[in-house]
Parts: sequence; structure tokens; C-alpha cells
Amino acid sequence: MMQGSNTYLIRPNHQHKFKPAVVKEYIREIVRDRLSGVRYNPEEVPELCRSLADSIKDKVKNAGLDRYKLVVQVVIGEQRGQGVKMSSRCLWDADTDNYAEDVFMNENMFCVAAVFGSYYY
Amino acid sequence: MHSDKKLTKEDTWRPADLRRYIREEERGDFRKRDESERKHHRGDSIEKRTRDQEKEYRREKDNIRERTDENVKDRYSERRKEGSRDRREERDKDREKRRERDRQGDVNKYVDDYRENKDRRRDREERHDRERDKERSRDKEKERVRDREKYYEEEKGRRREERDKERSRDKEKERVREKEKYYDEEKDRRREERDKERSRDKEKERAREREKYYDEEKDRRREERDKERSRDKERERAREREKYYEEEKDRRREERDKEKSRDKEKERVREKEKYYEEEKDRRREERDKERRREERDREHRNERERRRNEPSGEEGRDRIEKYERNQRDRHQERERHKDEYEVKRSEKERRERPADRTHSELNEERDYREERRKDKDERERRHKDRRNYDDKQKPDSDSREHQDLRKSSEEVLDHRSDRERTERDKYKDRRYQEERDPERNDRDKAKTKKSASETSHSHKTTIETEDVVMVSGHQAPSLKYVGDTEAPITSDQDAAEPEYEDDFEKLDYEEDFEEMDESANDSEEERQLSEEKEELSDKRREEIKAIQRAMDEENERMGTAQSRQSPIREEEDRPKWSRGSEKNQSKTSQRGKFINFVAAKQREINKKVATQQKKRSTELLRLIDLDFSVTSSLLDLPPVNEYDMYIRNFGTANTKQAYVQCNEDNADRDIQTEEIELCEKWTQHPPEHYGACGDPNLTQDPQNRTVNEINFDSKRLTAFLLSASQVMVVLLEEDQAERESLRKLQSQTDTLSFSDGSLQLNTKLPFLYGRSISLIHFSQVQRHTMMSVHKPTTKPSAVRLDSCTVICIWNIWEPSKPQKILVYESEVLCCCFSPGKAILVFAGTSVGSVVLWDLREQACNHYRITIGEDEWTLRQPSFSTDAVMAGSGHLSSVTSVEVVPSAIAGGLRPEVPLLASEEESTGLSFQLASLDESGVLNFWVVVELPKANESGSQTDLGLRPGGKVKLLHSSSLLTTERVSQREATKTGPLQTLQLKFLPSDSNHFFIGTNMGIVSHGTSHGLRALPKFYRFHEGGVRPVDVNSISFSPFRQHLFLVGCGDGSIRLHVVSYEQPLTEWNNLTAGEPVVSVQWAQTRSTVFCVLDAASNFHIWDLLKNETEPVVTERINADRVTAMATFGDSGQQNTYSGVALAHESGKIEIQYFTKNLTVPSPAEDEKLECLMKEAF
Repeated sequence: MMQGSNTYLIRPNHQHKFKPAVVKEYIREIVRDRLSGVRYNPEEVPELCRSLADSIKDKVKNAGLDRYKLVVQVVIGEQRGQGVKMSSRCLWDADTDNYAEDVFMNENMFCVAAVFGSYYY
Repeated sequence: MHSDKKLTKEDTWRPADLRRYIREEERGDFRKRDESERKHHRGDSIEKRTRDQEKEYRREKDNIRERTDENVKDRYSERRKEGSRDRREERDKDREKRRERDRQGDVNKYVDDYRENKDRRRDREERHDRERDKERSRDKEKERVRDREKYYEEEKGRRREERDKERSRDKEKERVREKEKYYDEEKDRRREERDKERSRDKEKERAREREKYYDEEKDRRREERDKERSRDKERERAREREKYYEEEKDRRREERDKEKSRDKEKERVREKEKYYEEEKDRRREERDKERRREERDREHRNERERRRNEPSGEEGRDRIEKYERNQRDRHQERERHKDEYEVKRSEKERRERPADRTHSELNEERDYREERRKDKDERERRHKDRRNYDDKQKPDSDSREHQDLRKSSEEVLDHRSDRERTERDKYKDRRYQEERDPERNDRDKAKTKKSASETSHSHKTTIETEDVVMVSGHQAPSLKYVGDTEAPITSDQDAAEPEYEDDFEKLDYEEDFEEMDESANDSEEERQLSEEKEELSDKRREEIKAIQRAMDEENERMGTAQSRQSPIREEEDRPKWSRGSEKNQSKTSQRGKFINFVAAKQREINKKVATQQKKRSTELLRLIDLDFSVTSSLLDLPPVNEYDMYIRNFGTANTKQAYVQCNEDNADRDIQTEEIELCEKWTQHPPEHYGACGDPNLTQDPQNRTVNEINFDSKRLTAFLLSASQVMVVLLEEDQAERESLRKLQSQTDTLSFSDGSLQLNTKLPFLYGRSISLIHFSQVQRHTMMSVHKPTTKPSAVRLDSCTVICIWNIWEPSKPQKILVYESEVLCCCFSPGKAILVFAGTSVGSVVLWDLREQACNHYRITIGEDEWTLRQPSFSTDAVMAGSGHLSSVTSVEVVPSAIAGGLRPEVPLLASEEESTGLSFQLASLDESGVLNFWVVVELPKANESGSQTDLGLRPGGKVKLLHSSSLLTTERVSQREATKTGPLQTLQLKFLPSDSNHFFIGTNMGIVSHGTSHGLRALPKFYRFHEGGVRPVDVNSISFSPFRQHLFLVGCGDGSIRLHVVSYEQPLTEWNNLTAGEPVVSVQWAQTRSTVFCVLDAASNFHIWDLLKNETEPVVTERINADRVTAMATFGDSGQQNTYSGVALAHESGKIEIQYFTKNLTVPSPAEDEKLECLMKEAF
């Protein structure tokens, strides 16, 4: 993601800022598209996770987030009535950095996709 | 083993060969040859690899050198000019001498070996031997060097030449003496080898030349030496360490020597003795050497500095400098050792020299031959020695193995230096052959020996050398790191140097040892092995070639990768000192693993980037606040409890939920409840005519309404049907009657003169059988409606109605059957219709009750009997005063009931139909008066209830259930009192028989009594005059007044028929009669007298003798115009009827016969049609009377 050379900007341009709502929409779109009607299969899920993360990353990359480093985390788990808790914590510059997440639920699986965007000063 | 050895030997010979070929041929030529030869001779893998790198390196170096040499040329151009010719001559001579000397050296070695290692085999691992050889050779070399130095120092120019020759000759002589035999035998072979050796010699010559050159320069360098004093100190330190090493080595050597031959011991003893002397000498010499070395260093430095000025850039030069410095240091140390040994040697030689010196140059050729011979001998001897020695040494082989490994790694370094040197040499050979200083030649010599020694390694060594590549690969990075660390601390380099020098020292020592040994081995075996090699290693060579090819490819790949990277690297790294060193190292490490380099380079770049980023981050971090984001929950999925889980999995297994609810918005609870139904019921026992049970609400409220509606419609329908059917029936009956009457009339016209036609009512009904008709009465309004009262019969009949009076209601146009049949238990004496429409029938009975029938009542509510085929409804009275109103009712039989006319106020009544309609519209509101025999006159009000009560009324007990019309007692009058008071004495008790009301004024009523008079009374108000109406001829006679009839046209005229047969015509206002007719009926009592309905002057009289008289006053005032005697069937009752309507004026009389049949006789036209004269006649009559 290192796109530009050193600059003296330490704040992103407004239209290039990481907007969670927009990114969330991307995630939702992709995840819904890829996971609707999919059954949980423990052998395929790792690859699925990876490809999902890649496609989300590519999509967000192309969204014009200038000078942002992205971290995409995708977790897919089977739903068998167990309780699941996931949370994240970041040390970052709250002015510039942000994250977006979306949860997709099926009858038999859940998928949590989170994108963390960190501004590259 | 042999073949391999040879192979390696050939390999290591390469640089010398090269040089030779360079000299002999053109450069390009040499290259081709070089290639081909290599392929032919060499199976070594290292060689190939190193060669490529070598070439690269060489090319670079050449470039550099060319540049630097130009400067050098300039500097030394003068010197070159003067010395060039001389030197060439010298060189030629030198070459020969040197060749000899070398040979002698070799021979010496061989001799030594022979002596020391008689039993030693030619095993490569024979360490001691080799080491000794090396030492020896080094000694020799050092001797040579020292000699040369001395020579240069003392007698620059010519003298040096001579001394060299002498010295070599001396040495040779020594050796020659020992090995003369050997040389002779070996001469031939030697000659064959000479070519190879010559190249070696040439190299040595060149080295010598170089040494010379250095010596010449030494003077100059000495001037610069002051600057380098600081260096010297270091060198001193290094030297001390070297000394230590040397001592150690000596010690080792001594130990080894013990094991070796006894011959050697002697020498060593000698050496030990000399040692201290030598030490002194060495000190001195070393100082000289140091100086020389420093000079050389300086020279190198100068060169380097010169190079630095050129566009190659500082880094490159620095790199080279560093590199060369290392090299130089190593070299210097080596040389130092050489020097030390030279001291030893020179001393030895010095001892021998006096004898040797006598040898002239002329003996050269002979010496040479001798040398050869000696060589041969020695080699044979050595074979034996080695074999022996090997037996001894076997236990030590293990330790030697390790040493070999170490050695091999050292060799690699040596290779490197070799290569550099060869390249340098090549270059110099071409350009500065004359000017080369002896030192370099010296080095070359050492090198050639070294390489020769290397070739003597067995096949194992070749493998080792392959290993060495690996090792060197590992070493390269280590070197590089050395460079890295060195780079920033160049100023401290001096301090660090000694350590490196130490390392290199050790290596050099061992190398040197090897050299001696190997060089001794190879020369003797060379030829044999070369032949064997050709045969044995054909297959092997192919394998090796394959390996070589693979390696070439690999190298090429790596090389290209390197070349690709290098320019980029140069650009990137220019500003960094470390870059320069790295670049240098990258070149040196080309011989090692490339991957390591690439990784290192990458690491370097990363490091650089990282430092940049770190710097930036530290700067930026001041401007940016980092904080912990609030822990954000990405997913919180609560666990599902067991039941939900079960439901989720199995709850919907076979079920599907689908529901539909219409009108979803109106989900109101109230709407879904049902209404409560309430109903009342009653019952009655015993059930008679009416229903046994009833439901008041049902009849009244909703059901009633529907019933009413239905009834309304059906009522209208039935009303219509009734009227319509009546009309139809009437028409039909008229038709029939007309036809019958035509026959009857024809028959009857005979009997009845007044009759215009007649019809007979059908009274031949079973319940009327045997009953006589007591009364016939026509309705005043409905003139065609007639009722007949049939008396109860004494004869038993089929129908049990014997004691009952039956009243039949007839429509005279419908004679076939009566309209209604009314029944009453007692005898009915009088009856009348309601004033309007004939819907009510009133009757007075013999038991003193007044009864009424409502003809509108439904037939179903009455008793029905079926007689024969016909069904008859026998109606009981709707209301009866029997026993109900005992107080107010009649106590005697009721003789007359009469409707009180409504027109009270007098005046003429309007049209009757109009009246009827009026009554009908206003409802029933009229009075009824009833008169019994005792003269009690009761007035009743006829009341119609709004609705009928089928359960019967509890207050009105006289009302029949379901009846609506009842009588209310209004008032009661006793009319007979006065009469009786006045007349009681004369006549018996007064009976009132007839009651009539004045039609124009209902206040006046007229009562016929049994005294022959008619009393006149009023119901209220003043008494009216006259009080009574009496006969014409005074006196009261007991005569019953049987009938009173008011004229329908002249309402103040009325007729009175009396029982004595007299008929009187009275005017209301007069007591006296208008006219009186007596004895006309022959004494027979008049039963009934009635005015005709259409003519005012005609009236009919029926007497008890069944005579029927018609009076027409207009025609005859005194006699009846028609008198008919009906004898066959006596007429018991009669009634006139007629309608004075405009179109259909008819008039007639109904005659009830004794048999019970009723005849309706229509009057003839003259009796029917009125005439205007009638009124005048009546007027006249009244005038006449009053």
C-alpha cells in the first residue's frame, strides 16, 4: 500500500479518508455475494477466507484510499449454537485511522469481515 | 589417485601456462587455447567457477590497471627507456639461470624428501613431508629474495645479475653433487617437461623483474617512509606475533623432525645452534624487508590514489584499497616468513657457497642435465621413503585429515590471491615486462610452487577443493562483514589489522608447507599420470564435463543476475561508505554463494529504508497522538439454549407453518361472540280451536312484522281475489240464475203477478234442513247483502246444531251458497247489520243477550265442519253480553236491536255509499240500541280493539279470543214506565215489541208496543211531541204493533202494522195517523209491512195468512194494487230490497217460505221505476189529512 513517497501530509484528504460506511458496504456486497447459500465446509473454509480477504482488500484498495495501509481479517465459523465473542483493539491515530466490519449470518455459519485502515504518514 | 593428482596439478599450473601463451602468442589466441586446454586437462570444478570470476575480475582489474599504468608509465618512462634494453638481455639470461635454479630447488626438495621420508608413500596426507618441503621452498625463496634485496641494495644494475647467477650456480652445484646420477637418468624426461617448466620459469623471471622494479622504486619509497612510521609500529607488533608463530612452527617442526629421519636431526641441531645467530640476522634483515614492504605498500597506495582520481569513484578505489591491503598484508607476512627462512637458507648456502661459487656459467647446461638425473633418482628414492613413512604415520592420519580440511579452506584464499596475482602478472607481462620488480616475480614463483603443490593433492583434494567452494562461499560473507565493520573505522584499521594478519599468517604457513611437499610430488609423477589419466578418466571426464556445464550455467545465471543488480546497486549506494565496501565484497563474494549476497543486499536496503522510516516516524510521532481505540465488539453471538437448538433442528422437521387470515385488520374479539337469543313461550290446556302454544314476541316483534308484511301482501291479494272471485261468482250465478229464472219466472209469473223474475237461494243445506226462517234482513248500504235467521229446529238432524239458531249471510247475486254462517246457542229474535259496510252483524236473543259477529274474522279461527263434500265454517259470535254484564244487560228477551244513526244533527244523510266509506275510513264508531220486552232500552257503544288477542282478554270476558270488536254499555232507558202508569189499568202489562229510530234524528226513537200505539221518545233532551201515536179512532186497544217502517224517501212518514190487521200511515209530528187501513187483510195480523226501496208510494204487506199485498198509493189509496195468496208454501217472512241507482234500478222482495226456502222476487217495472207524482200524492195525502 505504500503508494506515494514522503510527503508532508499527516492528515488524509477528506475524500480519501477511510469511511467505515462505504467500506462496510463493500464488505457486505462481497460477502453476501460469495457466501449466500454456502454451507460450512471445514476443508474449504480456509481457502474461502483467504480469497474473501483478498477480494475485499482489492476492492477497498481500488476505492481510492490514498496512503492507507489495510489489514483485512476474515473469520468464518460454523454455527452450532455456541456463543461467540469477537472484539478488537487498536493503538492508532483516531483522527485518521478507522475500521469497518460486517457480519454475515447463515443457518449454519457466520462470517465476520473486518477491515482496518491505518494512515501511512 | 594418480590421474586425479595429475589433473589437479595441471589445473594449478594454469596461470603459468597462461602467461607463457600470452607471451608466445596473441591474446585472443591464448584465450582459445586456454579454453581448450582447460577442457582437455582439467576436471576440476573449482577451476571453472573461479575462472569465470577470475575473468571478470581480471577484466576489471585490467581496466583499472590500464588507467593507473598510464600514470605509472609517465612516471617511469625515462627509467624504462634506459633500462629496457639492458633488462631484456638480463631477462634472457635470468630465465635460463632461473630455470636451472628452480630445477635445482626442486632437486633439493626431492633430495630432502628422499633423505627424510625414505619410506613415505606418495600419500597426499603426509603432512610432515609436505610441510618440510614447503618450508624448504620458502626458505629458498626467501633466500632468493634476500639475495636479491641485498643485490639491489649493494650493486644496483649489473652486479645483481652476476650474483644471482653465482648464487644459483652455487646452489645448483650443491644439489648437483648430491643428485648427479639422478639427473643423468632423468634428462630425457626432463626435456619433455621442460616446456611446462619453462613457462614456470618465465613466470619466475617475470616475478623477478617485478621485484627488480620494486627495488628500483624502493629508493623512492624510502623517502616516503617517514610518513608511514605509524604503520611500522603496527608491523612491529605483527612481527612479534609472527615471531611467536615462527617459534611455534619451529617447535612443531622440531617435533616432526624427531619422527623423521636422523639425517634431518643433524640439520636441525645445526639449525638450533644457528638459531640465535639467525635471529640476529633476521632482525636486521626484517627491518630491511619491512622497509621494502612499506615502500611497496606506499606504492600500492599511490597507485590506488591515482586510481581514486579517476572516474571509477572513491568507493571503488577504497574498496580496492582495502582489499589489496588485506592481500598485501597477507602477502607481506608470507614474505616475512620466507625471509626468515631465507636467512636460514642463506646461512646454509653461505656455508656451501665457497665451493659452489667455483661453478661457472659455462656449466649451466651440464648442470641442467645433472639436475634432471638427480631428480629422477630422488623421485625413486622418495617413493620408497614415502612408503615406509606411511606405515609409520598411519596412526596420525586422522589428525592429518582435519588439517587437510583446514588447509583446503586456506587454499581457497590462496586461490584468490593467486588469481589476483596472475591477473596482475599478465597485465604487467604485457606492458611492463622489463620494469617488473623482482618481488612480484618472486611471488609468482612462490605461487607457481604453491599451485604445483596443490596439484599433488590426490583425488581427495579435488573433492576437498569442491568443498572449499562451499567453505569459501561461507567465507565470502564473513569477509564482507569484515569489510563492513572495517568500512566505518578505517582510521582504526591499523589497530584491527594485526588480528587479520594473524589469521592469514597461519594459513600461509600451512600453505607453504603444502607447497613444498606437493611440488616435490608432482614433478616426478606428472608424465606417468598424464598417460594414465587419458585412459582412466574418460568416463569421469564426461561426468565432470556435465557437472561443469551445469556449473557454467549456474554461474552464468548468477552472473547475469549480478550484472543486472550491480548498476542499480551502484546508483543506490553511492552516498554510503558501506556501499563501496559492499560493492567490493560483492565482487569478491561472486565466488561464494550468490543467494547470501542477495539476501544481504536486501537486508542492507531494508536497513536503509528502516532507518529512514524510523527517522521519519520519530519526527512525525511528535505531531501525532496515538491512542487506544475503544474496544470494539466485532461479533457477539449468544449461545443458543438447548430447547431452541432442539426446535431449530427438529422442531420443523416435518411441519410447515402456513396460515391465512382474511380481514386481518379487523382482529376484534367482540365480533366473534354470538348474540344471546331470548324468547317467551306460553301454552294452554286444553288446546281448542286456536294454537296450543304461542309466542307473543314471535307474533309481535320481528316475526309479526314479517307476518304482517306477508299478510299485507296476501291480504291485498286475498282482498283482490275475494272481490274478484265474488264478482266472478256473481256473474256466473247470475248467468245460471237467469237461465233458471227464465224458466221459473215463466212458470212462476203465473203465480206471482207483481214479479218480474225471481231466483231461489240455495237453502238446501244439511244444517239448514228443517228450519224455518223467522227473519230476513237486508243491509241498508250493501243492498245485495241479505241475512236470514233460521230458527232452531226440534227435529234431530245430522248436524248437532239443533238448539242453535243459524244465521246465513247471503249475497243475492250469489244464491248458490251463503257467504257466512253464524251460529248462536239460543233463539235470535232480532238482528241488524252495521251501518256502513256489512261487516258486523248484531243480534238480540231470547235470553236477553246482545251478540255480534265480526264477519272479517279469519275462517281458520272458527269451528269447521265438513258435511259431504263441502267444508263449512260455523262462526261463533265475536262478542256476547251473556252473563258478562248482568247488571247492565237485559233481563228479558231482547225484542229489537237497532243501530243508532250517526247523523244526529238532523238534515238529510248524504249518499249511502259515501256514508259507508266515511264510516269505514273513520273506523267503527257508532251506537247500538237494544230493546227488550220490559221496555228497557240499552245503548251500546261498538268499540273495535286495535289488535286482536288470541289468548283472549281477561277484562272483556264476553270477547271471543281473537275477536277485535266489543260492546260497551253506554246507557240504559226504561221506556215503558209512563206508558204503563197511564195505560196499565186499561191494558195489561205493556210490552215493547218494536224499536225504530228516526233516520234523520237519532235522538228520537219510536217503540211499538202491544197496546197498539207507538210511543215516541228521545234518548236525551226534551221530550218530543207527540208522545205516542195511536189509532185514528181514539182508545187504547191491546193490539201488538208487529212492524214499523219508515219511508226511505219521506223520513217523517212511517207505517205501522198491527196484529189486528190494520195498517196506519203516520207522520212523525202528528198523533193521529195520516191514513188508516182496516180489514183489508181479512182480520189476519200483519206480520211485516215494508216500503219499497225505489218508489216512495209503494209498500208491501205480509199477513199471517201468507197473503202478500202491494200498495201503490198513487194508483189506489184505499186498496192494495196487488194481493197474492201463496198457499202452497206459506211465506213466513219477507223483506224488500232495491237500489235506486242511476243505471241499474232494481227492486224486489225476498220471501222466506215455511219450508225454509227463500225466494227473491223482482218487482215489475211499474213497481220499480219511481215517478214524480208520488211525492205530490203523498203531499196531497198529508194535506188532506191535516
